Amino acid sequence: MAFILDIDGRRHELRILARWPSLIVEIDGRRHRVDGTPGEGDGAGCVRIDGAVLSFARVSTGSSQIVRLPGTTSTVHLVDPRAAASSALGNDDIRAPMPGAVVAVSRQAGEAVLRGETVLTIESMKLQTALAAPRDGVIAEIVRPVGETFGQHDVLARLEPSTESEA
Amino acid sequence: MPFRKILIANRGEIACRIMRTLSAMGIASVAIHHRLEAAARHVTMADEALEITGETPVEAHLDIAQIVALARSVGADAIHPGYGFLSENAAFAAAVTAAGLTFIGPDARTIALMGDKVSAREFARANNVAVAPSVMASDDLGDFVTRASAIGFPLLIKAAAGGGGKGMSIVRSASDLEAAVRRASGEAERYFGDGRIYAETYVERPRHIEVQVLGDGEGNVIHLFERECSIQRRFQKIVEEAPAANLPGGLRDEICACAVTLATAARYKNAGTVEFILGGDGRFFFLEMNTRLQVEHPVTEMVTGMDLVRAQIEIAAGLGLPCSQADVPVDGHAIECRVCAEDPERDFLPETGTVRYLSVPRADWLRFESAIAPGHRVTADFDPMLAKLVVHAPDRAEAIDRSIAALDDLSVLGVTTNIDYLARVLGHGAFRDGALHTGFVPDHADALRRPEPGHDERDRLLIAGALGFREFREAAFGLPDLQAAMGGWTN
Repeated sequence: MAFILDIDGRRHELRILARWPSLIVEIDGRRHRVDGTPGEGDGAGCVRIDGAVLSFARVSTGSSQIVRLPGTTSTVHLVDPRAAASSALGNDDIRAPMPGAVVAVSRQAGEAVLRGETVLTIESMKLQTALAAPRDGVIAEIVRPVGETFGQHDVLARLEPSTESEA
Repeated sequence: MPFRKILIANRGEIACRIMRTLSAMGIASVAIHHRLEAAARHVTMADEALEITGETPVEAHLDIAQIVALARSVGADAIHPGYGFLSENAAFAAAVTAAGLTFIGPDARTIALMGDKVSAREFARANNVAVAPSVMASDDLGDFVTRASAIGFPLLIKAAAGGGGKGMSIVRSASDLEAAVRRASGEAERYFGDGRIYAETYVERPRHIEVQVLGDGEGNVIHLFERECSIQRRFQKIVEEAPAANLPGGLRDEICACAVTLATAARYKNAGTVEFILGGDGRFFFLEMNTRLQVEHPVTEMVTGMDLVRAQIEIAAGLGLPCSQADVPVDGHAIECRVCAEDPERDFLPETGTVRYLSVPRADWLRFESAIAPGHRVTADFDPMLAKLVVHAPDRAEAIDRSIAALDDLSVLGVTTNIDYLARVLGHGAFRDGALHTGFVPDHADALRRPEPGHDERDRLLIAGALGFREFREAAFGLPDLQAAMGGWTN
């Protein structure tokens, strides 16, 4: 049984090779023995991987787990095989990286824009950030005009769907 | 102790920290909070809590009239302003006093003197405290070049009306000066409509060294030694320590004496910090004086064993200084790391989220100052600093090791933080060597970037993460979750 997990933007395949007498998993061809079953809930946990004890902390946020080991924290997503099969997502939206307000709009609906060109400028916690077009295209809609506030991940502008096939 | 009740005109970790001392002193605490923070830790900790109103939480915390009226209405004897907000607002200090309450800090006149950077510089110069030599440009270019050259090189040419680095340039020799001045003046004219420029000593790789002082308002001032705050991003400190690394004893004495001279001349009352920049050649210059308790005061408390908030309250109550200069103890080394909700990999962009899990290591030599708890929502309403991790050890090397271990042990999950970045800063060879200056963060950006996890570490993360997904657990253990949670299940 295989699972596709995404960590820091990269996908890996985790297969369960055996459950008894120990759980054996294979990640990208590397095998590991996993002993001890930490509780499912958020918080501190402990597991033995290849005989070595690993202490970690973890919280669940819907389809991801935020995992912390000493010195490093990562987010692990469980990729839904159906979603993975569909075409590349979300390159049509410009989303807010953090909550704030729109202070300037550089392109209007109908205007062409090149990848990297500034579409809008936002301000949050006294910092101004220019948000750029993720690809060449045409602005479909400026969702939030100058002066409007927004929350993190809110869509601020949309591009017309790409007419070319994704590379 | 004449104070029976003190209102804290602040919030977050500093409000909690002040309350800890009030509680130890048997003084009742009054917290103020915006509606959005009704369940905040500083509110639940306080003996009394009052809501302040305003368009935004920050506006509410800057509403002088409202805060003073509230303090009077509950019979508070004094107000502690913390840091930030109204702590260096002379009008607030005056309003508190006019209302018959005691402001825990210097008087309004001193706040105003030191708050104006130009008047503070002039006051320092007038009292023989070194300020960075500077020369204002005049219409006579030749004369300006002569006077600027007399300061010595390297020089920083700056636009008098300027900012944002525009119209600024570094000149390293006399032969470059005239051309640089013409260019800077032209740029200044273009950007600000004002071509006036001035030249100032440029300190290469400056270290930010500051001295903690306490004054009784009657001309008696003691210092509690120095702190180094050179590790900064966006001109804000993220790591501070006491004492400063590798500082020759004579130079340290000189800097501390300078701070005392300045504070004495100002007849300074209560706690304050005198900030200097120190160059590699041992020359140091007065930068500014902060007339309040600083964020990083815990490192001084840990090496001196003194409670600065208690000292502030006692001075304000007319009980004088805690001890004489000769009796100020100093022992070991302390480092403070500011834990912030931000992403160091994206230029320290502030982050928001909810603290879902918090685990703080505990030790005799460790202090964790914060107001966060699981469930705390980190929003764009306030500064991104979440907590301060402060560590003490017998020497600097061990303080670094203990700090890194504590950062590795510290878990704040649910919002992106700079915890691991701080551990990399402390572990960097240059930090261990004490090769600090205010350009440390950008200079070492490449080395401080988050390293790519190797296969082993990545596999560990994946396994730990996978074990959190119901689908994986069911496939791995073939059991409904209840039984799996019992562990040790055998067929």
